[in-house]
Formats: sequence, structure tokens, C-alpha cells
Amino acid sequence: MNKIAKEVSSELMSENQARAVVYNFLSSLFAKEVNQDLVSQLTSAQGQSFLSALALEPTLAPSIKVISAELAQLNSKESLLELAADFCGLFLVDGQTSVSPYAGQYITNDLSNSDLSYGEAAKDKRKADKVQVFGELHQSMTEFLTTSNMQIHSDFPEPADHIAVMLAYLGHLCLSASIDDQISFIETYLMTWLSHFTQQVTKHDAGHFYTAVAELTLAWSKLELNS
Amino acid sequence: MKRRNFLKGILATSFTLVSTASVLTPLSALAKVGAKNRDDWLTTGSHFGAFKIKRKNGVIDQVKPFDLDKYPTDMINGIKGLVYNPSRIRYPMVRLDFLLKGHKSDTSQRGDFRFVRVTWDQALTLFKQSLDEVQTNYGPSGLHAGQTGWRATGQLHSSTSHMQRAVGMHGNFVKKIGDYSTGAGQTILPYVLGSTEVYAQGTSWPLILENAKTIVLWANDPYKNLQVGWNAETHESFEYLAQLKEKVKQGKIRVISIDPVASKTQDYLGCEKIYVNPQTDVALMLAIAYELYTNNLHDKDFIDGYSLGFDRFVPYLTGEEDGIAKTVEWAEKITAVPADVIKELAKTMVAGRTQLLMGWCIQRQQHGEQPYWMAAVLATMIGQIGLPGGGISYGHHYSSIGVPSSGAAAPGAFPRNVDEGQKPIFDNNDFKGASSTIPVARWIDAILAPGKVIDANGAKVTYPDIKMMIFSGNNPWNHHQDRNRMKKAFHKLECVVSIDINWTATCRFSDIVLPACTTLERNDIDIYGSYANRGLLAMQKMVEPLFDSLSDYEIFTRFARILGKEKEYTRDMNEFDWLTKLYNDCKKANEGKFAMPEFEQFWQDGYVHFGEGKPWTRHAAFREDPEINPLGTPSGMIEIHSRKIERYQYDDCKGHPTWMEKSERSHGGPGSEKHPIWMQSCHPDKRLHSQMCESKEYRQSYSVQDREPVYLNPEDARHRGIKNGDVVRVFNDRGQLLAGAVVSKNYPKGVIRIQEGAWYGPVGDDGGVTGGAEIGALCSYGDPNTLTQDIGSSKLAQACSAYTCLVDYEKFTGKLPQVTSFSGPLEIGA
Repeated sequence: MNKIAKEVSSELMSENQARAVVYNFLSSLFAKEVNQDLVSQLTSAQGQSFLSALALEPTLAPSIKVISAELAQLNSKESLLELAADFCGLFLVDGQTSVSPYAGQYITNDLSNSDLSYGEAAKDKRKADKVQVFGELHQSMTEFLTTSNMQIHSDFPEPADHIAVMLAYLGHLCLSASIDDQISFIETYLMTWLSHFTQQVTKHDAGHFYTAVAELTLAWSKLELNS
Repeated sequence: MKRRNFLKGILATSFTLVSTASVLTPLSALAKVGAKNRDDWLTTGSHFGAFKIKRKNGVIDQVKPFDLDKYPTDMINGIKGLVYNPSRIRYPMVRLDFLLKGHKSDTSQRGDFRFVRVTWDQALTLFKQSLDEVQTNYGPSGLHAGQTGWRATGQLHSSTSHMQRAVGMHGNFVKKIGDYSTGAGQTILPYVLGSTEVYAQGTSWPLILENAKTIVLWANDPYKNLQVGWNAETHESFEYLAQLKEKVKQGKIRVISIDPVASKTQDYLGCEKIYVNPQTDVALMLAIAYELYTNNLHDKDFIDGYSLGFDRFVPYLTGEEDGIAKTVEWAEKITAVPADVIKELAKTMVAGRTQLLMGWCIQRQQHGEQPYWMAAVLATMIGQIGLPGGGISYGHHYSSIGVPSSGAAAPGAFPRNVDEGQKPIFDNNDFKGASSTIPVARWIDAILAPGKVIDANGAKVTYPDIKMMIFSGNNPWNHHQDRNRMKKAFHKLECVVSIDINWTATCRFSDIVLPACTTLERNDIDIYGSYANRGLLAMQKMVEPLFDSLSDYEIFTRFARILGKEKEYTRDMNEFDWLTKLYNDCKKANEGKFAMPEFEQFWQDGYVHFGEGKPWTRHAAFREDPEINPLGTPSGMIEIHSRKIERYQYDDCKGHPTWMEKSERSHGGPGSEKHPIWMQSCHPDKRLHSQMCESKEYRQSYSVQDREPVYLNPEDARHRGIKNGDVVRVFNDRGQLLAGAVVSKNYPKGVIRIQEGAWYGPVGDDGGVTGGAEIGALCSYGDPNTLTQDIGSSKLAQACSAYTCLVDYEKFTGKLPQVTSFSGPLEIGA
């Protein structure tokens, strides 16, 4: 490999590392409630400069601003519990009157019908998958993970089509797969439902934090495809 | 900004989430080889029958009926929807305000509140602390942990046993007596026939089919109700119903169904039908008795030889006692059954061998003791009790009663009580003058009026002051009556704990919610056929417990660990130790009679067959010699008149069966001018009570515009401008619900049916998903207990009276609210 190629490759690797950090950051926000430890990390000098760096991109700035403001207010056990209740009400209970974090409840492998909204009569198998968790998308994601020699951590007993798993998997792809494969995954498995997901979060969020996190994820993913 | 620079900027911050573990991890060696090899068919059982399951990558893929099940219910199509339900309780959760303020939390918005996820340790510690607080401040009368229900099948993981044994190791608590299904029947019949009868094995179907000339199905719909059973149901009864259908067709057996509605069984058998006004069955029975008596058609020898108190009953029958002769004309006015039909019915009943088969719904009403008592009197007058194909049964629609039993011993279960010699931490039996056991359906009354004294079955019951309730595998926000009364009562509770698989309304009204796994996520054993004892079924674990759910065994083992009593609780045995023990105990009990392989072989095979049984006749021994084989009544005889009950001096349950007017009754009865429609809330056709209502795909095979169906009479519906498929608002002064109209000639004028078990989903006045905690809130899905009344059947049984319920209905023209029944907790106005 000549010098220029090495430099390009190294630069690309750095970029991919940066992207992986962002995906892992987003994944962690959807995986679990914000705890004191996470607040400390994100409000540390390093955390602040990370958020500021993200906010330099205009499409990300509005949600980063909200996230930073919300984080600044998380200064008591009660405020963390209130945010935990927001998280619980949004992502941990049902997905019918709240938000499903599972891709399979928005889309199926039959992508010709991916614009069907959740809740329509589920008379046939294709739609029926949307009313059950651990469906086809869980199976597909499990296979992807296995192929990548990965599995879901035992501390995270969720279906593989959970948004946190998909984002973490993308973080992994950033460092291991071709750009084409990454783009293909984002287009096929994320962008097909992320917009709908974000609308649902906005509709049901009792506070502002998770709306901003969902908007940030959507804006980031769009940015990824546009670049 | 250039993307490259932007990303460089991010990287330059050197930010990584150091202590937040990724949700992904390298594939373990075990997982690499594990999952894919386990794609064989495995066996399990349920209330809905036994079935086999094939998995795909650790997920249930296909479900098919067990080989021996020739008449499987289509409810097995709902199994996957139960397990993979979006409303699974995924993690232990605590209501936020309860977490912050404990027993001083704001309970006024129960059912409509914020929860947070906690760890199992946190949840179980909170649970224990709440019990400490209640036992310390109020003693055992402050805790009710006895409201238990249908659970899921399995002898080891039975939710009731685990909860009560574990909580019993902490302290004592209030319990229930009776159940919602047969509360009046099981209380009155021991006085009359010496046993509850409702849960007793009955005369075998082959003998009924061979000997009966007439079968009377009184308010009985076996073809609907036999789909489910207390244990894994074999569905063998359906073979006998098929034979009966053939005999009806050939004219060999007359089947007469007495019912206000055309039942599923009527449709199946193509049998004769007699319409009777709702809640008036006793009047009809009295007129039949009057006809038999005045025409000298009753069996005097049988009455003399086998019963007591006919002489005390006759003056009532003839009117000597109350001035009203119970003639066919008298009955016609009340029941709408024509006098000549009653006369003909009386003649038919004594013209040959007549088997009376009673359903349970007519005892789930005010004075529900009376129709069961009077039916026994009628059977005594006919004189065929103890003969094959004659007499009376109160259970041939339940859990394969009437299917000949193999005679094999069934396996034992994980103990419900603490072991002998074990003492609870709070070893206190001082209920402060209150009763430690209360009639099952009076608990809401007790919460609302602690200290109140009521009559119950010859005793006085003093209501305890209940502050905390624990529900495990039990959903009283389905089966109890009058939701608004329940809301008021729940405001008074300091702590409510629910353990279940999916977010029921009961969970939403709780403070601590714990996720149990389904039967498919644990190992267990069960008898195949509650009464048939056809074999022993392995209930093999299909998949690991989903999310953070645990088996009942594991939940309460962990709880016992917190109490410092783990070894006492488990007897130092794990899940498979217990299964082996239960199996080996059963094997020993069957030694020399039924061959059973070693446990390992059984577990591999998935089933051991005990063979067919021999036909048997109920009460035959009593008929053969009533002195050697007396009944369990005070006199040992059938008690047409009960001195014991007479001595109680109850105005609503006298010394002999009596016709009494109801607090509300359709077809000209009290309250019918205001609300003219009788609502029948019978056991559902496509569920087991509330179990499986949440299985969405299956539910959509019967729901109407996503609502529970309400079955309407065509003329009544037309009069209200309602057509098939419309959404209907059903209402009375107690509540209101939305349901989907199914117009059918099976339902007579003045009658509607909404099957119980429809999940409660209240919505606010504006139709919004919040606001359901309000008194009077509209149920968005169609739970009939939004409308029923919470009164005891009488001072004797104090059983539920769901069938004494008048309503009216109209076409719903407002904005259709979203169904909230199958959701997790909803937040108050965010």
C-alpha cells in the first residue's frame, strides 16, 4: 500500500471510529434509563465537547441543544426517576398506546408493504408479524449478529430488532463492513421505520429528552445517507 | 461543514461511554452450537388442551394439537399471541409515586399512572418491606393474599401455590372462600345433596347415551364451555356430544334445551328449545313440580326412601303457605313459557329416563342458590337420581366431567402452605376481631366498609380492614363486578402487588408489577384431563423466559431468599428435583395399577398414557343403600327442606327452595322500565375467562371494529337504528362500555350477550387514552363487568350476582376512542 492510500485508509478508519462512537452513544440512550453515571460522563468536559462537536452539524444542533439542557437538569434522584418513568412509559410497556422500540412492529421483511401503519387489521401473516414481538425481523437480526460473530448481551434480554441493538450493530458495521453494506443496512432496516418511530416518541413523550434523542437519531441517520 | 472535519471533531473529543456496556457481546461458544439443534417438536399442555410446538432459532414457530386430541379447540391459534404479546410485562416495575412515597403514595389515580423499571432485587425487597409495614401496623387482617384464580396449568409452577406459600412464610393473611364460577351452587348443594356437585365427577357419557330417553340442558352450553379445562383438556367430551348429535338426529334421544338464548350447543345438536325469561327458572321448575304433584306423577317411593322435608315443601308449592299456587298459569306469566309447554315438559320428564344437566350461569345471579336447590327437588320428584342416564348433574359442561376416569392417581403439586412446624416471620394470628376468611366476591365490599358484619352460610363475617392485596395469575379487574366500585375501593389500598404475564387491568391498578413467564417458558407436569386422568403430560420448556420474566418458582424462591427462608421454601430442591419428586410420588401411588417409566424416559417421551376408564353412575351407591352410603347432608338424605338453613332465618334463602323477585329483572320485572335489556355475561367461546383476550391476531377473528362483540336481537337493534358491525354504547346507572354489534336471531327480544373476560380499557371523557381512572369512565373495549352489580347472591352464599343486570344500549355516534385494554399503564395528562 502506498503512502497516500495508507493515509486515506487511516482517515477513513478514523471517520468510521467516530461514526461508531455516535451509534454506540445513541444505542446506549435507547437501551437503558439514564443513570447518574451516564449523566456524569455526558456532563464532563469530554462529554460536553463531544455533544458540542455533534452540534456543529446544523441538522443535529436542535436536538443536541435539548439533550444538553435536559441533562443539566438531571441533578437529583427524583429528576432521574422522572426521566426513568418517561423511558418506561415510552419503551418498556406495550407499543400500542406507547412506542414500540422493535423494528418488527413497524416493518416486515416484505418491504413492499413497509408503509402500512401499525394497528391495521392483522388478518394475514405479513401483517400479523407486526402484532407479535420476536417476529421475522428479530430472526433476521439474530442471523446478522451470528454471522458477525456477535450476540445480544445477557443483561439486555430484548428481541434483536430492538432499536438499541440495531444501532449497536451499525456501530459494529462501521468498523467491520464496507460502506455499501452499511448504507444498505441503514436504508433497509432503519430508515424504513425510524421516521414513524420518531413521530410516535414525539406523540407519547411525557418530557422532552427522548423526543430529542429520537430526533437526533433520525437526523443522524439521514446525514449518514446524504454523505 | 465538511463531513470529514465534522467526524474528525467528534473523534478529537476522545469520547467513549466507558462504563456503559454495549448491548452486544461476542458470540459465546454455547450459542454457536446451541439454538439450531433444538428444532424438534416438543410437548406441552394448557387449559386449552395439549399441543406440540416446533421452534425456529429459539422462537416458537408452529403449534399443532397433541396426537390424542381429536377435537382440539381453535384457541390454540392464540397461543403464540399470548407469549409474544407486545404487552408482556417485560421487567419488574413499580409505580413511581409508590417508589417515592411508599404506603403514603397518592392512590387517587390508580390505573392511570407512571411506572419505572426496577431490578428483581429492588422489587422483591420493596414487596417485603410493604408486607413488613402492613404486618407491623395492621397485623394479618391488613393483608389479603387469598384472591386467587385460574392461573396457568402445571403442578409445579402453579402461581397460587407459590405466592401463598412464600407470603405465608412472612406472615398470615386474609383468604377467600368459594369462587366466582359456582359460588351459590357450591354453597347450597352440600345442604341438599351432600357435596358441592359442581366439581364432582358425573355419570359417564356412555351410560347417559345408552340409557337416557330425554336429556334436559338447563341453561347449559357444553359445546362452548368444554373447550377449556382446569388441567390440560383432552376434549374427549366432544366425541360424546357428536354421538348425542347422531342420536338426536335418529330420534333416539330427545334433547330439550331450556335457555333464554339459542346456544352454541343447540345449534350443534339441532335439539328442541324452550325459551324462558331470564332469571325466572325457579318459577318454571316450581310449575313443573306443581304439575307432577297435582297429577300424582312424582315418585313417592323415592321421595320417601331417599329424601327429607317434602312435606315441608308441598304447602309452599300448593300455595297453602303463601297463598300462591305454583301453577303452570302462574309460571307462564313470569317465565313466558306457555302453560301447555310446561305441562308437556313435566310429562316428558317422568315418561322415561331423564337426565338433567344444569349449567352454572343460573346460579351466578341474585338468589342463585334457588334454581340449584329446586332442580335437585325436581330430580328427586322424578325419582331417577342414582340411575344411569337419570338424575341430575351440575357439571357436564366443565373440564370433561362425564368422561370415564382412568382411575389413575394424579400427580401432587408444589405445596400451597408452609410446611408443618414452619413459623412465619410475623407469627401473628390476631385478626383483631375480623374474619380471616371472607366470601370470595365480597372483598371490594370489605375494603369499602371494614368492620361491617354480614351473614354468610350460617355464620357472621366481620370484614377485615384490608390495606394491601397480592394477585398472582389472577385478574379480578376482569371477574369482579362493578368497576366504579372497584376504583373507589382501590383508592383505599396502600399497596397492590400483581404477578402476571401480560399487562392486565389488575396490573395497571397495582403498585408493584412482577413479570412471570408463560407455561411455555418453564418445565412442568400436568394430568391430562382433570376428570379423565387419561395420562401424565410433560410440559417441556420451549423457550427461555422472555425479557426479564421468571417462573413462579424462581420468583418466590428469590423472595424467600430475601426472607432468609430459601431452603425452607424450596426444601433445598430445584425445578427438576421437584418435577422428579412429583413424578416419582405419582409413580409410587400408581404402582401395581398403572405402569410408568422412569422419569428420564417420561420426560423424553413427553407423555405416559393411563388408558381408558370404566363407565360410572353418580349417586348409584346412595341409591343402592342410603344407610350404608349416605349423602354428606346433615340427614344423609336429599334435603328438600333444610332445617339447618331454616334455622339461619334468612329472608333471601329460606328452608326450602323459593321463587323470589330480583333486584332487577327484564321482561316486566323490577327496573325494566328504565333499562329494559337483560345482559348475559356468560363464559366466552373464544377465551378462558380473560385468558387469551390479549392475543391480538386471534382476537381479531371475533372482534368487531376492534371491540368485543355484543350480540343483539334483530328487532331490538332495528328499533335503535343499529345494524351488524356498528359500534354500540351499552349503559346503565353503574357504567358504560363500547362493543361491536353482532345482530343475531339467536338472541330474543330484551336480551343481549357480552361474554365475560373482555379486558377492561377505560378512557377519558374526551375519548383520550388517559382519564380512565375517573369514576364512570367509558370502557373502550367492552368489559361487561363495567355494568354488573356487586351484590351477594344471598345471606347464604354471598356469591357474585353478575347475571342480575339490566342495561340499555344505543348506537355510538361519537369519535371512536382507541382501545386501551391491551396496553401498559397510561400516564396522567402528560
